[in-house]
Amino acid sequence: MLLVLELAIFYAINPAFLSVLNISNTLTFTVELGLIALAMTLLMTAGEFDLSVGSLFGFAPVLMWTLFNGGVTSLSVGFLISLVVAALIGLFNGLFVTRLKIPSFLVTLGMLLVVRGTALFVTNGFPQRTWSAGGQWLASLLVGDFYVGPFRVYASLFWFVAAAIILGYVLTETKYGNWIQATGGNASAARARGVDVAGVKVALFILTAVMSAFAGIISSIRTSAANPNSGTGYELEVIAMVVIGGTALTGGRGTIVGAVLGILILRVMRNGIVLIGVPGLAYNIFIGAIILGMMALHSWLERRHQAET
Amino acid sequence: MADDLIRMEHVDKFYGRVQALDDVNFSVARREIVGLLGDNGAGKSTLIKVLSGAVRATGGDITVRGQRVDIRNTTDAIALGIETIYQDSALVTQLSIARNLFLGREPIKGPRFLNRMDVRLMDEVAGDLLRKVGIGKMIPASTPIASLSGGERQAVAIARAMHFDSDLIILDEPTNNLGVAETQGVLRFVRNARDSGHSCIFIAHNIHHVFQVVDRIVVMRRGRIVADDIDPKRTSVAEVEDVITGDLAGLAH
Repeated sequence: MLLVLELAIFYAINPAFLSVLNISNTLTFTVELGLIALAMTLLMTAGEFDLSVGSLFGFAPVLMWTLFNGGVTSLSVGFLISLVVAALIGLFNGLFVTRLKIPSFLVTLGMLLVVRGTALFVTNGFPQRTWSAGGQWLASLLVGDFYVGPFRVYASLFWFVAAAIILGYVLTETKYGNWIQATGGNASAARARGVDVAGVKVALFILTAVMSAFAGIISSIRTSAANPNSGTGYELEVIAMVVIGGTALTGGRGTIVGAVLGILILRVMRNGIVLIGVPGLAYNIFIGAIILGMMALHSWLERRHQAET
Repeated sequence: MADDLIRMEHVDKFYGRVQALDDVNFSVARREIVGLLGDNGAGKSTLIKVLSGAVRATGGDITVRGQRVDIRNTTDAIALGIETIYQDSALVTQLSIARNLFLGREPIKGPRFLNRMDVRLMDEVAGDLLRKVGIGKMIPASTPIASLSGGERQAVAIARAMHFDSDLIILDEPTNNLGVAETQGVLRFVRNARDSGHSCIFIAHNIHHVFQVVDRIVVMRRGRIVADDIDPKRTSVAEVEDVITGDLAGLAH
């Protein structure tokens, strides 16, 4: 509803908003951030969150391209190594949170600094060459583009749709989804029923880390740049998307459909306010205001619901 | 007794140097409701935790149906047919009744690797169970726990224990924070459970509730069992209170 309203307002102010070019441009980057937001939805439903996603988004492509450019590995092996390293980082986050019982805020904040610092150190702060990607089958599989009528579609859109369908299925239809929701809703109750709460959390930390790396690599191939600084601040934008999508920060409740809406709402907002002439620098004011507004709406709906029963 | 469902012999539990259980001998027969009483810190919770797998005993033997067992975690306890219902009834309030009933043991339909929950079956079975424990008004199985009353939540927890054929249902303060009518409801569920073949350990601060429902009362004090065969039909509440506080050296029996 909010999304439709948003689309209508922006279209009314600037018809170019719904132009073919603008839609394909908006979608392209949206799905890259969206991949992270989808995984983050599951993680937050299980009651944890991950601040290190933005730094992984920057680090994974740097690692892949450094390996490839140095002639150490082929691009596809470098790609696999990057994902495996991301998985290890996720595993590390998960074990710190579940074994040492340190809040995920602190663990992943520390990991953010470590990963970002590594990316900067490895590259001396310079972007990596990526232009040799042309003609690589992996590159076309990940971000190959083609035209559907006037629409320019990147393959990453299909990755996003596939991820949304699979994760949505996992969350609502499978027993694992039940475990994820129970883990975030009442961890001790879930544990008493024999659910491996720690295992669920670790798996989701790994998933989130791998998805962040995957998104970062897609983005780097599309923009032909592996900048060690890219992804800065994405963690908060992703969490904002998930929260706007109705996932409770405290865990226990979350949907993929909501997350997809949250992703679109935020990205359309960013694109729209630029098009209608609001300075891009004012973007964060809107994002902050939307989040506060959504929270107020949630709590109002919640209280009304409580009063009814 | 050969008919004992569960038997603890010489069980000790230390937390560091603190001894929470001291040479505990405790048993529950089949189809028996045992009331476990004791003041705060008497060791009731520790005894329950040992049986439900939340903590491991430091020493002693536990036998279930005559077999010596080692209860290492909650999964072991559940596999042995020991179900524990905690004060907060251990339900996930965001999830529906059906999803809570089957949490951790969801039925799967279709190919195994898809792990697809059989939601229809879950709702059907849950509906049957709710009727069986006799939640008066019709509550659909898809209702989230959050919109149930305290008594209804206990009913769901007890229904879950009954459905999964738990031989021993441990109820830890099931009547806390409940109104009079709801308390009566919970006590009825407990009797129903016994009548359909389950054994129960019933823990409550309110001795009157215990008296209404149990077959035998066991009293703990400072980690030891100080009385293990009090018949609620032949003993007064005041006498049991004296045993709990230790005012009386021992009840005549």
